[in-house]
Amino acid sequence: MTEDSSNTSAATAPANNTNEAEKTSAIEPIRLPTIEEVRGQDIWNNCAVRSVASGIMGGGLGLAMGLFLGALDNPIQQDTMTGRQLFVYTAKQMGGRSWNSCKAFAVMGLVFSAAECVVEKARAKHDITNTAIAGCVTGGAISAKTGGPKGACFGCAGFAAFSVVIEKFLDRHE
Amino acid sequence: MAANNNMPTALDKEQIFGMAEKEMEYRVELFNNLTQTCFAKCVEKRYKESELNMGENSCIDRCVSKYWQVTNLVGQLLGSGRPPM
Repeated sequence: MTEDSSNTSAATAPANNTNEAEKTSAIEPIRLPTIEEVRGQDIWNNCAVRSVASGIMGGGLGLAMGLFLGALDNPIQQDTMTGRQLFVYTAKQMGGRSWNSCKAFAVMGLVFSAAECVVEKARAKHDITNTAIAGCVTGGAISAKTGGPKGACFGCAGFAAFSVVIEKFLDRHE
Repeated sequence: MAANNNMPTALDKEQIFGMAEKEMEYRVELFNNLTQTCFAKCVEKRYKESELNMGENSCIDRCVSKYWQVTNLVGQLLGSGRPPM
């Protein structure tokens, strides 16, 4: 390709050569990050910021899920209620359920992210075991309230396995 | 430093320049060794993303801190009259 373009005419040869040179040397020089960029990236290294952000995202997800599941809930006395009563009932159901699930998912996201951040900083390695340990802590914390120690063990194992599967699924897609 | 005994006692520009050059070479060598050691130790060979994640960040922090401490310590020991160990 280079031979043909440079042999066509003398007038266009220099322009073509510079184009080839520009294409081959399109590598930019190394540019060190500015202090604002370093600070912007450093924000995400802070465990508190990360866990709060994860908590907010979990809360949003919980809101959406609760709204969706609450809308599917049908009242028992469906025939005797008027349309407006049905609407009010469904709206209350949706609101209540979405708030509950928002809280639950926010706590789950916060605890998981905080645990993973702390463990990864302590181990100084980026592994799948960080995810497993964080999942165990989250599952154990959530199940310990209702199940006691045995429930905490099962919750730990279950949530750890779940989070490892999700992490592997996400990694494969990257 | 054996050349100092043959030269006059007043330090001239060339001697200072030679010392500065040696110092610069030492610093550059130190930096290169530091980055190579800590990169080989902390960063995985398979690159999954372009930015340093948190584990690698804290690993590099620790590696550089230790390397710097050891360098200073060994330099002090070597420069302080060489006690027999």
